[in-house]
Amino acid sequence: MSQEMTPKAIIFGSLLILAAVTFVVVLWPYTHRHTAPSEIYRQRTALEESGRKIYLANGCVYCHSQSIRTIDWGHGAERIAQAGDYISDEPVALGSARTGVDLSQEGGEHPDDWHIAHFINPRYTRPNSIMPPFEWLGMENIKSLTAYIQSLGMKGADKRMQRQRHWKEQVATAYEAGPAHNIRWLAEHVPEGWRNIPNPYPTTPAGLARGHKIYQDFCLGCHSPIGDGMGPAQPWIYPPPLNFTILKGREISGGIIYYQIMNGITGSAMPYFKKELESEKIWDVGNYVAEYFINQSDANTEPKGIDASYEP
Amino acid sequence: MEIDTGMEQEINKAAIAFSLTSALWFALATSMGMVAAGYLIAPDFMANIGWLQFGRIRPIHVNLVLFGFVTPGLLAAAFYYVPKLGRTQLFSQKLGVYNAILWNITIAIGVVTLSAGYTQGREYAELIWPVDMLIVINFALVIVNLVMTVRSRKEPILYVSIWYALAAVVLTATTYCLGNVIWKPSSGALVGIQDAILLWFYGHNIFGLLLTPLSLGVAYYVIPKVTRNPLYSHSLSLVGFWGLLVVYTHIGTHHLLQVPVPTWLKVISIVDSVAMVIPVMVFLINIWYTVKGKVGEIHADVAGKFVFAGTIFYFFVNIQGSMMALPQVQRVTHFNNWVVGHAHLGVLAFAGMTALGGMYYVLPKISGKPLYSHFLADLQYWLVLIGSGGFTVVLTIVGLIQGNAWLNGETVYRVLPAIQIYYVLRVAIGFLILSGAYIGLYNIVRTIFFNPGAKA
Ligand code: HEC
Ligand code: HEC
Ligand code: HEM
Ligand code: HEM
Repeated sequence: MSQEMTPKAIIFGSLLILAAVTFVVVLWPYTHRHTAPSEIYRQRTALEESGRKIYLANGCVYCHSQSIRTIDWGHGAERIAQAGDYISDEPVALGSARTGVDLSQEGGEHPDDWHIAHFINPRYTRPNSIMPPFEWLGMENIKSLTAYIQSLGMKGADKRMQRQRHWKEQVATAYEAGPAHNIRWLAEHVPEGWRNIPNPYPTTPAGLARGHKIYQDFCLGCHSPIGDGMGPAQPWIYPPPLNFTILKGREISGGIIYYQIMNGITGSAMPYFKKELESEKIWDVGNYVAEYFINQSDANTEPKGIDASYEP
Repeated sequence: MEIDTGMEQEINKAAIAFSLTSALWFALATSMGMVAAGYLIAPDFMANIGWLQFGRIRPIHVNLVLFGFVTPGLLAAAFYYVPKLGRTQLFSQKLGVYNAILWNITIAIGVVTLSAGYTQGREYAELIWPVDMLIVINFALVIVNLVMTVRSRKEPILYVSIWYALAAVVLTATTYCLGNVIWKPSSGALVGIQDAILLWFYGHNIFGLLLTPLSLGVAYYVIPKVTRNPLYSHSLSLVGFWGLLVVYTHIGTHHLLQVPVPTWLKVISIVDSVAMVIPVMVFLINIWYTVKGKVGEIHADVAGKFVFAGTIFYFFVNIQGSMMALPQVQRVTHFNNWVVGHAHLGVLAFAGMTALGGMYYVLPKISGKPLYSHFLADLQYWLVLIGSGGFTVVLTIVGLIQGNAWLNGETVYRVLPAIQIYYVLRVAIGFLILSGAYIGLYNIVRTIFFNPGAKA
């Protein structure tokens, strides 16, 4: 019965199958593509394009996807990927793993200085990161790479970058006017209600231990282990990470600290942590900063509102 | 199965050269895997050495296992069984040896260019155009050698292993050109989402039209030989062969279920991914019924053990793969180490172990000398078996942790500390596979050269 299986039958039969399938699943969708640009689409600049080459050459694509799904929560989760986002990508860099985060909407998430410090060594801004360091690329390449990263999200990214640039100018001016002015300026930008709120929970050894762990996992690369703002990221960041010790006696409430950690300070490298830290964790790390570095905490003082159901 | 005419086979230099190629790159590929795995637990280890960093080592690892280790290993067996089954000699030993030399040069150039950052940036299609061309030439040479051998055969009936070997090399040469967009040498890519569709059509064909058929060819040859049972059913092998070609080629889009490609393509890929159960089970029923009552023989023979373990892993990788193509499952498994676990289960545990079995089966025959050490081959079997099983378990656990955490709103960064210990375990288990690879290299080199054993 296997007599029909001649070399010709095998070779031409299988090639025929391949041709038919290729026609249906590759050629057909190729000729019937409608690649209208999406509403955020724009072309990349020459600098961004050169950054993309570096991105591809160094295998960023093995750890980073560029495509948001309906089930995602991370940043950019509001913008589900559309075919029209990719119309000038050759090759397309969708990625098949998220060892790192999705980068399709990364542009404007951070200011440039955060990215540069992060590329020099990711542990500087993200102590638990497992992303490799890219200092060896040299500053020029790091800058084009940063330009590319800041373009991800296209028109959406441009809007966010405009916001970053606007506030960068303001935080830099405030910083240059001296610590007293800077701290006042920062506090004034925290909405009124938050400024009068003390940390509602009492200081406990367990709470401080939790705060310490969170500080180590999220903050120490910038603010340093002793809170003086001289962490390893400091040389690349401007305005530099805040030195917490200068906050003493300047009426910095638990609410201000909470708000700044939750919301970040756009324009400066200070990121927002609302996606990564739940409420208790922000209070805990805030109180840790207050107790250990500012040496002054308003934890568990009035006004407190209705007592929390659990009190240690 | 073929009638043994007792015709002497010459020393098969081509098969020897491909075995050595496979053993050598197996050792180097696992070394690269260890480096890549090392970075994931200690990202600053060997920091700032550009050509050694994770993003360059990873494609080197993957290209080496595919084109350095598994493919040449499976081809080594084919260079033996195709002439043997046709009751003839290989068309040209010389061509085969030159082919193996060119193959090694190609792989070496591939490693150097990738580590220097010359890449087309497409997973499984990273190699730049000149290397692509070399690969195509290599496959063309294999095709010439095998087809000419088949044409000069004295046995009119073609056994199923030959079908698979011929189809694999012919189809791979074709999809390789397509998938690497060789008509566009500068980028080697299409533009936009179309590029992803083509890429995964091709990427999946590397597993489905290269590794799988070559592995099945080896299994169809080695299992009846080792058990001395006739193949259970020739009709089943016919169904399995054409079924595999029809179904496997459709399913590349299951890599793209969560990105904006046309829905009808996704539907085809999901349906056919589930339908993959048919050709796979047809093959497995055929092979396992052939083994029936002879498991003892399998276990007495190291080649039989490797190949038989490969068929069992084929079962698992298929069941797992069909599940992963279901959208509800893929919500959890996509983008994380579950897929890496599946990849090692498929390429290492199924295709890799089958390749090793094929080589151990043919080595004494192609070299005319007994295997240097059965003990070392046995040791390698256990190291690779435990290593593959361990990888699958550990990477699946990591994948479940990552996938479920993300689905419930945890950020990637927050999950990193939770998975670190599993990355450490992966390196620990990796040492088993790494030692297995070097032991195998030693054993194979000693079998062919410096072999004190009597002439067989
Ligand atoms: C080994 C995998 C790996 C590789 C390779 C890698 N990254 Fe990352 N990347 C990560 C991980 C993990 C994170 C999350 C932790 C962090 O922020 O460092 C990350 C975070 C990032 C972020 C910050 C996202 C944010 O806003 O929190 C950017 C930007 C980034 N990577 C860009 C790149 C670029 C560009 C490359 C290539 C030059 C690259 N990565 C290569 C793993 C990797
Ligand atoms: C990438 C560096 C970086 C990281 C990481 C970082 N910060 Fe900051 N932080 C800054 C910078 C820069 C500023 C603002 C400096 C300025 O504008 O003068 C700042 C400001 C602050 C402020 C504002 C104080 C005020 O008076 O308004 C607080 C509170 C703070 N950081 C706490 C934290 C905590 C807690 C963490 C960890 C959860 C953290 N930061 C992580 C860089 C960082
Ligand atoms: C036979 C049935 C199989 C099915 C239905 C199947 C299905 C799948 C699916 C759905 C994925 C995508 C996972 C994702 O990205 O979420 C995948 C990935 C993969 N499969 Fe399979 N698979 C099968 C067999 C195999 C075999 C036999 C091999 C190896 C020889 C293999 C190797 C791979 C590899 C290496 C990947 C990873 C691709 C990447 O880098 O993202 N698969 N498979
Ligand atoms: C010492 C043993 C090995 C180690 C430590 C190892 C490690 C790794 C690592 C770290 C990755 C990258 C995963 C990621 O990006 O998260 C990888 C990918 C891969 N490895 Fe290995 N590996 C080993 C052996 C092998 C062998 C022997 C094979 C095949 C025969 C293989 C096939 C693959 C494949 C196909 C991928 C790509 C997976 C994907 O894209 O999803 N590995 N390996």
